[in-house]
Amino acid sequence: MNPDTLRYTEEHEWIGELNGQYVVGITEYAQSQLGDITYVELPDAEREVEAGEEVAVVESVKAASDIYAPVSGKVTETNDALEDNPELINKDPLGEGWFFKLDGIDPTELDALMDVSAYRTYVESCG
Amino acid sequence: MRQTPLRDAYDNHGAKVVDFHGWALPVQFAGIIQEHQHTRSKAGLFDCSHMGEFVLKGESALAALDRLVFSDMRTLRVGLCRYSAILNEKAGIIDDCVALRLDDETLYLVTNAGPLDVVNDLLSGAEGVTNVSDETAKIDLQGPLARDILLQLGFEALRSMKYWNGAAMKWEGHNIVVTRAGYTGEVGYEIFVPNEAAIPLWERLAAHPDVAPCGLGARDTLRTEVGYPLNGEDLALDKTPLESGMARLINWNKEFVGKAALVAQRDEGTHTVLTAIKTDSRRAPRHGFEIKHDGQVVGQVTSGTFGPSLGFGVGLADLPQHLAEPGTALTAGPKDLPIVTATLPVYQEGTCRKKFDA
Repeated sequence: MNPDTLRYTEEHEWIGELNGQYVVGITEYAQSQLGDITYVELPDAEREVEAGEEVAVVESVKAASDIYAPVSGKVTETNDALEDNPELINKDPLGEGWFFKLDGIDPTELDALMDVSAYRTYVESCG
Repeated sequence: MRQTPLRDAYDNHGAKVVDFHGWALPVQFAGIIQEHQHTRSKAGLFDCSHMGEFVLKGESALAALDRLVFSDMRTLRVGLCRYSAILNEKAGIIDDCVALRLDDETLYLVTNAGPLDVVNDLLSGAEGVTNVSDETAKIDLQGPLARDILLQLGFEALRSMKYWNGAAMKWEGHNIVVTRAGYTGEVGYEIFVPNEAAIPLWERLAAHPDVAPCGLGARDTLRTEVGYPLNGEDLALDKTPLESGMARLINWNKEFVGKAALVAQRDEGTHTVLTAIKTDSRRAPRHGFEIKHDGQVVGQVTSGTFGPSLGFGVGLADLPQHLAEPGTALTAGPKDLPIVTATLPVYQEGTCRKKFDA
């Protein structure tokens, strides 16, 4: 995914449109902060999620972290390759390391999220 | 934060530095798992200069240590190391430590950074005790190739050194101490050098193609896979040696601070035991997770991580004796992660005891 076209949350998730679906993952900053990722728990397909709801878990060598739905919608597909190869998130967080796809979202919810320049400023404030 | 004499050296290697007991130390260089795997297959280089070192010379210095630990340091033969712990009156563990007998009248004592001031206060009143922590750097080289690498670099005295032995020697004109010990489960050496020799030795080792600098993160995953306890995580002031996997190391035939409390606990016999645990998935137990059995809280996780060499979660836990039997199924943490008790070491391929032809 092209980082310039994505929207971002304060929890360092990204969401972006790809062929009519919305793909969700975590950012480069998030993966670098987590360090080596060792385990991912993904949501069930068909699950209806609310914006801000805890939908996935990432564990790294250092710690476990929750992943939240950036917007409301229905999970249509999950990246099952992460179950055996969670390191894909470290290697390619905006590409092969995507988490799940959402359908039926409200585009106005996207507008409430940060764009790339706002997110870059936010990351700088995170240190 | 305090800095070790190696701070400038590892800054050049891309270290990510964190605060560890008030010390600025590298948590990782290239990445925890990569460093872990490198140490298991080749050799990892660790800065442990934050740790404490004491030289104990003569009878009163030896007596000062001997009364603090549950081991008999008087019978320790020249060239051998002994692992023990310094206790308070309640038999709580102030620190775990390793003593090396350098010669007939000298012990070299290695302690942790956290409780160093307390240990210093306990020992420093005695004649012949010198705290050399501030002028000593500790560099560990750990991994199956560690011996070959050090021999290539001229550490000829290590050719015949056996596991858990140590000696004073010279390197490039510096007086140094080396033990064949470590915290990874692999063949390894702990090298104690004067501060001014720290960067030269580190750079010499780091330049070797089979050596990778490693941080506290890999040190933690390596030690957890083999079940070595960490002071402040698995060992604590409110836990005794009987509760900390040290039962068979205790010498009941000598006097030491905390012995009365330890005898009482032994005779009562109902204390918890530090027990290896593992998961059947890539999920890790974590320090502080409550452990449940049949819905009741029965213990807690003291250390836990994903084990990169195991492919599953691994850790240590305080458990009642009847649930410590290997193979006992339990759950841990807020999400009731399934865990099972295991035999130590969970990672069994470690090379640390390997015998070499001199």
